Amino acid sequence: MNSDNLVSVFQFILLLFLQAFLLSNMNFFGFINPNLYLLFIIVYRLDGNTTLLIILGFLLGLFLDLLTQGSGGHTIATLTIAYLRPYIAKFSFGVNNDIPMGMLKGSLLSQRLLYLSMLIFVHHLILFTVIYLSFENIITIIKNTFFTSVFTFLMAYFSMGLFKEKK
Amino acid sequence: MRQLFNALINYKNTLIFIGLLALSLVFLNSRSFYHQSIFSNAALSFSSKFNLIRHNISSYINLAESNKKLHLENEKLKALELFKFAKPLHQNTLLDSFGFEVMSARIVKNSYRGARNYLIIDKGYKDSIEVEMGVITSDGVVGIVNQVTADFSSILSVLHRDLKINARFKKNGAYGSLSWQGNHPKRMKLLDVSTLNPIAIGDTIVTGGMSYYFPYGIPIGTVLDFNKPDLEGYYDIDVELFGNLTQKEFVYILRNNQLSQLKQLNNE
Repeated sequence: MNSDNLVSVFQFILLLFLQAFLLSNMNFFGFINPNLYLLFIIVYRLDGNTTLLIILGFLLGLFLDLLTQGSGGHTIATLTIAYLRPYIAKFSFGVNNDIPMGMLKGSLLSQRLLYLSMLIFVHHLILFTVIYLSFENIITIIKNTFFTSVFTFLMAYFSMGLFKEKK
Repeated sequence: MRQLFNALINYKNTLIFIGLLALSLVFLNSRSFYHQSIFSNAALSFSSKFNLIRHNISSYINLAESNKKLHLENEKLKALELFKFAKPLHQNTLLDSFGFEVMSARIVKNSYRGARNYLIIDKGYKDSIEVEMGVITSDGVVGIVNQVTADFSSILSVLHRDLKINARFKKNGAYGSLSWQGNHPKRMKLLDVSTLNPIAIGDTIVTGGMSYYFPYGIPIGTVLDFNKPDLEGYYDIDVELFGNLTQKEFVYILRNNQLSQLKQLNNE
């Protein structure tokens, strides 16, 4: 458990800096910045402490906003997704939602894909809604949500392959 | 207390989430001018809606007060209106000279089912109501004060078989006396109009001004039907009243300032 915590801290810092200094400055096609830092919340143990996850999610978003001069959208989106994660896990994995690393192994591929895509999509929807926060920009919100979600999904999926190799 | 703690522990995730969400909204508000303006707009529209609701409630509570004010205003306007109606005949006849004051009152009891009906209003001699004052509403004649106590007065309704009111045709001034036959609270009979005068269905009847009680020109009703008896020289006219006396709430009382002069002349 101790080494798990250590891994979590390491992941937290690594993903934060990776996101803040590399991925948030990518600007694919002018507007796509994959949010790979979500991986921290995605691979957090399913039987882990949910309260701690909420606080860590909040801190992750807050630090990211501070490092990237963001307005605060990442804080709200990451906090919300950390809070919603148990419900999304229950919805996607069903009875298997207590397998500690269910998102990597021990569950059906379709369940894993549903979990991953739901988490990413909801996060991006909240993120862009908070950033634009107006009805006039609803097309922009949907466009950004969709393309960034797809991009983040691909990156996250392949990165999770790396996790699996390592374990 | 223990249950409260248990509940708090059960919902700790939600509570922490809400707390941190509030914190991040503050963070968002402080960092971005755009979001700040959106928040202040939302707050403004919310507070103005709330103020509107509060205003509606308080104005509903003050309704009685404002009603009273409107009545005072109506008294003035009614006096003006009557003054205006009275003008055409004002110059020629002493009888029609305008000298009426208007007071408003509320109907406390209103009977209209009997053959001799009375109304009771909430003003008496304390409010300087006297017997034989005329009573009208916004759209017609109500009756004549016949009894006064300190705080209340009773009014002989026009829906009273023994009361006759002087009335005229608005178009040519032909006059007769209006009385109630006791059948329908909106129907009256106008008798004693000479057949020399041409009349038609739909003609407007107004008060005649040849009495102590009402000035000239208060609208009463329209001609519903008439027939011309062969042997007599007078029409038999059915009048439909403008106002519905069965659903009135407020009345105006007319004080004739020149009553003493008129009585003096009549006695001599």
